[in-house]
This record gives sequence, structure tokens and C-alpha cells, in this order.
Amino acid sequence: MLFTTDKQTLEDLNIFGKHGTDSIFSIFNRCTTRGGAAVLEEMFRHPLSNDQAINQRSNIIRYFAEKGISFPFSATDFDALEPYLNNTDERSKLSAEDNSISKKLSNLIGLDAETAVVYRGVSTLTEMLKAFHDFVISLDLVEGDFYTSEAEAIVGLLTTLPYVPLSSDGKGKLSHVHMAGNDIIFRFRHRNAVQNLLRYIYDLDVYISVAKVAQERKFVFPKALSKNTHDMVIEGVYHPQVKNAIANSIHITPAGNVIFLTGANMAGKSTFMKSLSICLFLAHMGFPLAAKKVEFSVLDGIYTTINLPDDLGMGASHFYAEILRVKKMAKELGEGKSLFIVFDELFRGTNVKDAYEGTVAITGAFAKKNNSMFLISTHIIEAAEVLRKECPNVRFVYLPTKMKGTQPVYTYTLKEGVTDDRHGMVIINNEHILDILEAGIIKQNLA
Amino acid sequence: MSFIADKQTLEDLNLMGKYKPNSVYSIFNQVRTAGGERLLDEMFRNPLKDPETINQRSSIFKYFQDKNLEFPFKNEEFNVIENYLSMGTAGNTLTVMTGVFYRKIAQSLLRDDQFQMLYIGLLNAIAGLKALGEFFNALKEDDHPYQNQLRKAKAIFADTRLAWLSSPDHLTDLPVMKVAKYDCLLRNTLRKEMEQLLEIVYDLDVYIAVSKVSKAKNLTYALALPKETNLFKAKGLRHPALKRAVGNPLIFSQANNFLFLTGANMAGKSTFMKAFGIAVYMAHMGFPVAADEMTFSIKDGLYSSINVPDNLNLGLSHFYAEVLRVKHVAEEVASGKNLVVIFDELFKGTNVKDAYDATLAVTRSFSKYRNCLFIISTHIIEVGAALGEGCENIELAYLPTVMQGNVPKYTYQLKEGITSDRQGMMIIENENILELIQGK
Repeated sequence: MLFTTDKQTLEDLNIFGKHGTDSIFSIFNRCTTRGGAAVLEEMFRHPLSNDQAINQRSNIIRYFAEKGISFPFSATDFDALEPYLNNTDERSKLSAEDNSISKKLSNLIGLDAETAVVYRGVSTLTEMLKAFHDFVISLDLVEGDFYTSEAEAIVGLLTTLPYVPLSSDGKGKLSHVHMAGNDIIFRFRHRNAVQNLLRYIYDLDVYISVAKVAQERKFVFPKALSKNTHDMVIEGVYHPQVKNAIANSIHITPAGNVIFLTGANMAGKSTFMKSLSICLFLAHMGFPLAAKKVEFSVLDGIYTTINLPDDLGMGASHFYAEILRVKKMAKELGEGKSLFIVFDELFRGTNVKDAYEGTVAITGAFAKKNNSMFLISTHIIEAAEVLRKECPNVRFVYLPTKMKGTQPVYTYTLKEGVTDDRHGMVIINNEHILDILEAGIIKQNLA
Repeated sequence: MSFIADKQTLEDLNLMGKYKPNSVYSIFNQVRTAGGERLLDEMFRNPLKDPETINQRSSIFKYFQDKNLEFPFKNEEFNVIENYLSMGTAGNTLTVMTGVFYRKIAQSLLRDDQFQMLYIGLLNAIAGLKALGEFFNALKEDDHPYQNQLRKAKAIFADTRLAWLSSPDHLTDLPVMKVAKYDCLLRNTLRKEMEQLLEIVYDLDVYIAVSKVSKAKNLTYALALPKETNLFKAKGLRHPALKRAVGNPLIFSQANNFLFLTGANMAGKSTFMKAFGIAVYMAHMGFPVAADEMTFSIKDGLYSSINVPDNLNLGLSHFYAEVLRVKHVAEEVASGKNLVVIFDELFKGTNVKDAYDATLAVTRSFSKYRNCLFIISTHIIEVGAALGEGCENIELAYLPTVMQGNVPKYTYQLKEGITSDRQGMMIIENENILELIQGK
């Protein structure tokens, strides 16, 4: 089964970002090649839902991160390669027979553009394949290294490819006959094998670029557990795009799989929700994470509702949009999927009474789904009292507000319980708003 | 002291901004001349504070709307005239005339085009002045609000030195002598009069532009009363930038100067509040308002708090920013000013208990001031029930939600009381969400 998510979630978490803005994707995209970037995007579009595949990928990246290996090719190599390999026109083949004096002469004077591309392509690829072979051998992989199986496949492909390699001293130039021979092998006869090799190169590019990010940012690698454990240990998770972000830890088990989050508006509720969701999203890709330790049982999908657009022009009510979203998730939950579901300020578009009842009903219903995990934030702290009685698996956490003089300050550190901050009135009293108004009235009455 | 409306208020109501889509300014900015635009700008920046001036101005607009007059110039035409008349000419008759002759000679000898430019400017100015003279002549000098300005304009045209303007000669092919004479007259001798005339044209431009917008949008002119009466009365009050906006009645008086507004998010609370704020502001400018009928007492200023953006980058807490704003308004109200105050969803950035206490306390304190007008909206409908004693001047109103099948619809019609809409649970039940979660 595929790992599912949707557009709203990708936007909430800023996975791809709007054009030109920094996104989660852009944090990891240090790929040298365009092909590598495409593979990376594919990974972001399709996170994995199989614990073995996740662990395999994350172990490979970890291997490269630990060894500090850098990518053996430069971007310019690929500039020559891509147009060459994309050209599958038979007429552009280099012909071995056509090696007359006149051809040589005209080649001396100047190659036509297409032939020049082919020449450069063949020689670049011939060199690259050798370099790739040398690189894989130089890794000196042993049984048990996670890249070993891929390396074996690569070496296998390279040895079966019947092309004429460069002489081992690396200086020699291929003769025209060998060039023509290689051209036919690369582009036509063994096209698939060459494409596979390229894909390995692109994968390698992704592994190494992600590994570099992991090293630089001191990200940790997740450990995926099998689906049925429904366990999640996340320590020291923070938002990778927030400077000096504060880390939080949370442990979610079936005995407390509904997290009920409260706190003031600026206290960091949304940021925490985003940090956790991004962490889980990347974890399902096997990518390194902005956290200290992550162990999670694999889920079937993530759905977040954090910045649901509240657009007047849209016509549809925000509340109704929220209902439709809850309904969509309800359907998926009803199918028995294990999901991670996040709602920021559920039902904020309606009056408090309504929002209260809605929050209690929906949270209560979610709480019966032991195989999924929920993170719900709200301003309606009253809902907590009812939920506490009725649903033993709802866990209450909050982000506190502290007063420093008259200014509220935020710790951004998760605490157990429900917020009992009453700073609203404290601030109003500190600012003497009511006194000002009272004094004004007295003055008016005297006058 | 001028009418107070700070930056946030102007932004909340989207009043200013030539290039902002749907700003109130852009609705009225149909003027043809740069001078007219400057004047309009000035009017928007400085609303009036005296009922007589307000009524005077609005009656002029009304006069033009009733007469249905066209601005007597095309855009390009007037630009040429304006440029010509504002070309500086210091000195005396002799130097001006010499200048004309010099240019004429330069034209024939040096192929200089200065004379040609002067000539075209003059011809245009003459044609324009003729048209303007006819325009004013067509207006009768009976008892109407535009009379003073009209008289001033007519006096300028009545000057004997301009008598040649009305001569039937077609003034197209002027000899150099006449060019020099007329040029000197318009740019030198009658320079002051011409400047006055330009000012009158700018005024005219604004009057005609605004009255046209008023007619096209079906606006009305509000009647300004002295501040002591403390009254606001409107029928069919609506938002001027919205097509097919729904009108609502709204009445404030000394005994009833506080509106407590509830309703769902899309029900139109903010739009209604903005419509009210815009009407108050426009009325203080003497401009037409989007209503069927409106009477109001002059106020000292307008404060609103709608759309306070929830900006993370701001650093300052949203709640704290809101508190500071309320404090600022409280100080202004306490200083004895007569203000209009609009608060949309106060304290929404904090938990409900806190917001309830804060909204209740602030509402109660403000309601003691009978000389101001207040509208406060909230989602915390319980506050309405708790207001009780001492708040008899608070009127409760709500914007209802009606269910049409499973979809909520909004009437945008103000109703008395507190919303009792419980569509929330109804929709949840209608959509079978709780069953869906269980996989039934």
C-alpha cells in the first residue's frame, strides 16, 4: 500500500514551497545533477510505507554521511550527457565505415553541431563509466554495508556492458572505430543498461547530497518499526526552518494516541505541529531528521489541516471546508488505515458552543481509532474536561505562556496537562485599560 | 483638530490607495484632471468635522447629480490647456509680447517650434475657455449650493477684457499680432483669474466625478447633525465595493449606542462592520454613502480593529498587539472624544476562558460611554448573555446562518438577539462523520 498524503498537507508543511521560497525540499536539494534532483523530488512525492525499505534507504544515506564521501562527478559532465542520450535518432549514429580522408579533413576544419554533441557524449560517458567503476571499487564495501547490494548491481551492469573502456592509464583517446562502437552500445543496443546505470548515479547523487545535509545540520536517522507496533518515540524534534528552534519530545503509544494541544496563539502550537509532521513525513522517506532520536512504526499516511485557506472570495465557508476535510479523513480511517492526523484549531470558524461540541464529538470519535495517531489543537480548553472523563487514551499537552513584566514570553517547551494561562486578564489589568475607562467616566460625570 | 482615523483604521476599511483594488478611493477616483485627483486625495485625507460644511459639500454633489452634467473637457484637451496656462510668465506686457515676436521670427528663420507650441496652446485654451464659458452660462444662478462658485466663475468670464471670447469669429487662424495680444492677456494680465478658473475646474471635476459614481452605484447623501444629538440612523447600509451587497438598517442613539454582534465566520460580520465604518468616514467627507438613507451626528474620529493580521514574523504577540490597540482606543475614549469604535473578534488569539473574561470586561467598561458609538463582534456568544445589568444601552444583533440541505447559506440580514445557530453539530451529523470514522 502506498503512503498517502495530499496537497493541503504538502502546503501546510511547506514541503515544496511556493515558487522561489525556501521549502523542506530545498533544504535537502544539494544535488549536483538535474537527474538527481528529479529523483529527490520523486522521493518527496512518494514516501515509503514499508519499514524495511525505509530502513534500507536511511542506512545507505547514513553510510555516506559517516564516510563523508563526495560525489565523483561534476555537473558539467551531465550537461554533455543528457542531450546526447536523449538523441535516439538512428541517423545521428557515428559510422565506423565512414572514416575517409575527406571526413577526417572536414572534421579537422569543424564538426557539425550534432556530430560534435555525439562525440562529446560518447567520450564523456566512456570516461564516466570508468570513473563510476573506480568509485564503487574504491568504496571497499564489505558484506553488511548497506550500499553493498546496489554496488554489486552496478559492478554487474558495468562488466556486462560490452563497450570499449579507456585504457587503464586513463590518458588514451578512443579511436574513431571504438567511438562509433561505443555510441551504438550506449544509445541503442544497451540503452536500458546505460539508463539503469545513470539512475544509480542519480540515486548516488541524492544519497550523497542528503548525507551532506545530515552531516552539516546534525540530523539523525530514523528507525522504522513494523506497522503493528503503533509506537512512536520522538525526542528533541524541532522545525528545520526555524532558527534557534526549541526541541520537544513526545512518545505516542496506543494508550495515548490522541494528543490534545492547548496554548496561546503565539506559544508555538502550529510550529510544534508542523515540526512533528515534517519529522514524520521525512521519516517515511528514510531521510535524516531535525531531532535527537526517532523511532516510529510505519503509517499509511499523513494528513494535516493547519493553514486551511480562509478565503472570502472562495464562497465556501471555512467551517464547511473543515467539515469536508474531517469527512475525507473519516473515510480513510473507516477503511482501517493507520494515519497521522493533525488539526490546528479545529472549528475555529464557528461560535464557541458549536466548536466545543464539534471538537468533543470528533476528538472522541478519533480516540476510538487505536491504530492511528492524532494531534489536535484548540483554544477551547473546556473540551479537555469532557474528553478526560470519556477517553482514557487522549493525552493533554500544552505550550505555556509566562509573564515577564507585562510582556508575555513563550518557552516553546511542551508540558503535560491543559493550559491554565489566564494572562489575557493579567495583561489587560497591567495595561490599566479598565482603569483608564473608569477614570474617564468619573471625569465626565464631574464635568 | 481634524477627524481622527489612524493607519490601521484606514487599512481595515481599505479606504485609501489609488492602486489598491476595490479601495474606496479607487471607486471614487473617476476624475479627469491631475488637479482634481489632488483635490480628491485631500478630501480623503481630511474628512470634515463641521456639519454645515459637510452638508454644504454633499449638497453640491447632489446638485451635480441632479443636473447630470458632463465634464466639459476631454482628458488630453485639458492637459494642453493646463500646461499652457501654467507656463510661467513673469515680467510686463512688453516682454511677453516681445517674446512672442521673437519666437515667430525664430520659427521662420531657425525652424524653431516654440512658436508652434505656444500657438497650439493658445488656440486650445481659447477653445476651452469658450466651452467653459458656455458650460457656466447654461447653469442658472438661482438658489443652489453651487451658486457661490458659479458666480465667481461667471464674474471672470464677464470681464470686458475677455469679451472677444464670445465673439462669433472662429479663432483658428490668428495673425501674429493677435497671438501676442491674447497670449499676453491670458498668461500675464489675467493670470490670477486664470488660476482661479483652473481651481474652479478642478473642483468641478471632483463634483462631477463623485456625483457620477454616486448615481451609478445608487448611493445617497447623508445628513450631518451637530454632535450633541448623538444619533446614527441608516437604512439599507451596505458595502460600496461589493456587487449585490445586502443592505441592513442600523440605528444608534444616546440610549442605544452599542451593538454586540454575533454570527458564524462567513455570515458577514466583518463586511457589515466595514460597511458601517466606511459609511461613517465617507459621510464625514460629505461624500455619498452606500445606503438608502442616512442621518448622523458628527464624531471626532473612527477606530477599528478588523483583520489584525496574525503575523508570526512580527515577533510581538497578536494578543498583546490587540491589547495595546484596545488600550490606545480606551485612552482616546476616556479623554472625552466622541468616537466610533469597531472591534472585530476581540482577543481571538487566546483561549476561550480568557477571551470571555476579557471581552466581557472590556465591553462593560466601554458601554459606560454614551457619547461614542461601538460595534463589537465575537464568537463567544456567552458574553452576550452575561452582559446584563448596567448595559441597557447594548443592543444584541446577529447575522444568521440558514441550512439549505447540507450547505450553510447566509442571509446577511441583521437580526435582533444572539445567534443560536448550531449548524456545527448538524453538519457533522448530516455528513455522517462519526459513523464514517468507525468504518460503518
